[in-house]
Amino acid sequence: MKSTDAPVTLGFLFSDTGATSVIERAQRLAATLAIEEINQNGGILGREVRIAGRDPGSDPVRFRAEARRLLTEEHVEALFGCYMSSTRKPVLREVEAHRSMLFYPTHYEGFEYAPGCIYSGAAPNQNARWLADYMTETYGHRYFFVGSNYVFPYELNRIMRDLLSNRNAEVVDEVYIPVDPTDEDIDRVISRIQERTRDSGPVIIFSTIVGRGAVMFYQAYHRAGFDRSVCPIGSVTTGEPEMKVIGKEASIGNVKAAPYFKVIKSEANARFVSAYLDRYGPDIPLCAESEAAYFQVKLFAEAVRRVQSFDRDELISVLPTFSLEAPQGPVRVDEITHHTSLWPRVAVVREDGEFEIVREAPAPVAPAPYLVELDDPIVVSAGQLRGSTL
Amino acid sequence: MARVRLKDLRGLKVVVVHPPDSDGMMMREQLMRIGCRTDLIWPVPRSLPARVDVVFAGLFFDSQEEIKAMLRRAEKPGPTIIGVVDYENPAMLELLLDIRAMAAASKPVNSFGMLTNLVVARATWREQQETQEKIVKLEKKLIGQKVISKAKSILMDMHGMSELDAHKMIRQQAMGKRTSIEEMAQAIINANDLLSAKPEDV
Repeated sequence: MKSTDAPVTLGFLFSDTGATSVIERAQRLAATLAIEEINQNGGILGREVRIAGRDPGSDPVRFRAEARRLLTEEHVEALFGCYMSSTRKPVLREVEAHRSMLFYPTHYEGFEYAPGCIYSGAAPNQNARWLADYMTETYGHRYFFVGSNYVFPYELNRIMRDLLSNRNAEVVDEVYIPVDPTDEDIDRVISRIQERTRDSGPVIIFSTIVGRGAVMFYQAYHRAGFDRSVCPIGSVTTGEPEMKVIGKEASIGNVKAAPYFKVIKSEANARFVSAYLDRYGPDIPLCAESEAAYFQVKLFAEAVRRVQSFDRDELISVLPTFSLEAPQGPVRVDEITHHTSLWPRVAVVREDGEFEIVREAPAPVAPAPYLVELDDPIVVSAGQLRGSTL
Repeated sequence: MARVRLKDLRGLKVVVVHPPDSDGMMMREQLMRIGCRTDLIWPVPRSLPARVDVVFAGLFFDSQEEIKAMLRRAEKPGPTIIGVVDYENPAMLELLLDIRAMAAASKPVNSFGMLTNLVVARATWREQQETQEKIVKLEKKLIGQKVISKAKSILMDMHGMSELDAHKMIRQQAMGKRTSIEEMAQAIINANDLLSAKPEDV
């Protein structure tokens, strides 16, 4: 039996290498900050919190093996992490086999429920739907889809196609490239966009390319000289950490929908940003995925504090009973779906290379992972849209 | 009442097109326990081996074109298809419908449930096959009826005879020439077309 002084071990599944390591490293830093703050305040149930977890290299097979190792050898109380759906899926098999929990800090395509999983990133009704509204109202009605060749882009593109069609917009083409693409793959996409533009006029890009591929694509799109005040790239994925690598010039004009941006003005976010920058230095980017990685550790700690136990069933039943003050605003886990009520926002990269929030939900939006949209548009009156440019 | 005849399943040739991971191995072993002749094949082959009855097809977005092409090339009538999926989103479900799956196994694959899927999918497939055959027969018959009725109206116009007499006439002619009523009717239509053609139509 563990002595009460023994540390609590939590398992981290964030890649240091591979296709999506840029964003996963950002998530690791944010989750680590949360644990350091918890330790400064006396740990969890009076016990120090220790982190375990080796680099799973953006690879589904290694993710599963590492999850198994953390659960069987390190005896972690819960797992935190995963970016791509293709890595979450095999990890959840280990989580269920060992009756443990995974806190998943990334937006994804929806249509999943696993008893032991708490989803703290956006479901499509909390990001894609808001992006579709903003893009069709601001730019135009002809869209070109480009994505990485795995489950998330296929399903999100299917959802986006429905959303755009409900807004009388059309999708002129849909192209997929490997998760870890070559320069030739990127060139192929750019020439296809040029071709479509020549054939029938300008197109707006909706990108579901993840990781390194997104960096390569955004840079190539900039070099090709498209006017992003008319034909920006919209996404729910590409944010501050990727932009740091993409560069300021190639980022200006692009659009992202997410529940969190570093520029949010609130007390909770000011505390988070200053703690983050103090800890990691002024040049380390912050994004929605890292904010979710941060607040979900706090969610876990608060749930443990409330039930005085690490028992999975008790944690799952207490999580939906309280609201947590996250940097994006108060969030709460939904009892039925295990997803989280979040604050949808849309932001555009301005001349200084920073996001400017152009649209913001007036209240938290409940997750709808199995349903994106019926025929009704989002019911928000214009007066409620703070910071809207419309 | 429906009867499950397990011996019908034992002779089946079943191909599992799936990576040889824990799910792939589990499917192959369970099918062998059931008594099917089973192969586990990966990557997706260009075409299926000959005389395959059932395919368990692992569905992945990055190999979807290969799977579709492989199934398109299958000899007719195609095999009973059971999709093996690990996502339940509409994009995956569309893929499942595209390959005309009769059932689906979800991952992690459980040995419990394979037999159920096999029985239900095979019965549905057979029923669909029989319905298809029936439709082909009925369509043929329907076309025959149309031809006969057209031939009858030609005869009724030409000879001012009743429908009953026209029918009798076609039947007698068919018997005399040892052919079917439908063929005789078609011959009458052809002859009429030929005789009523004007020189300038040629």
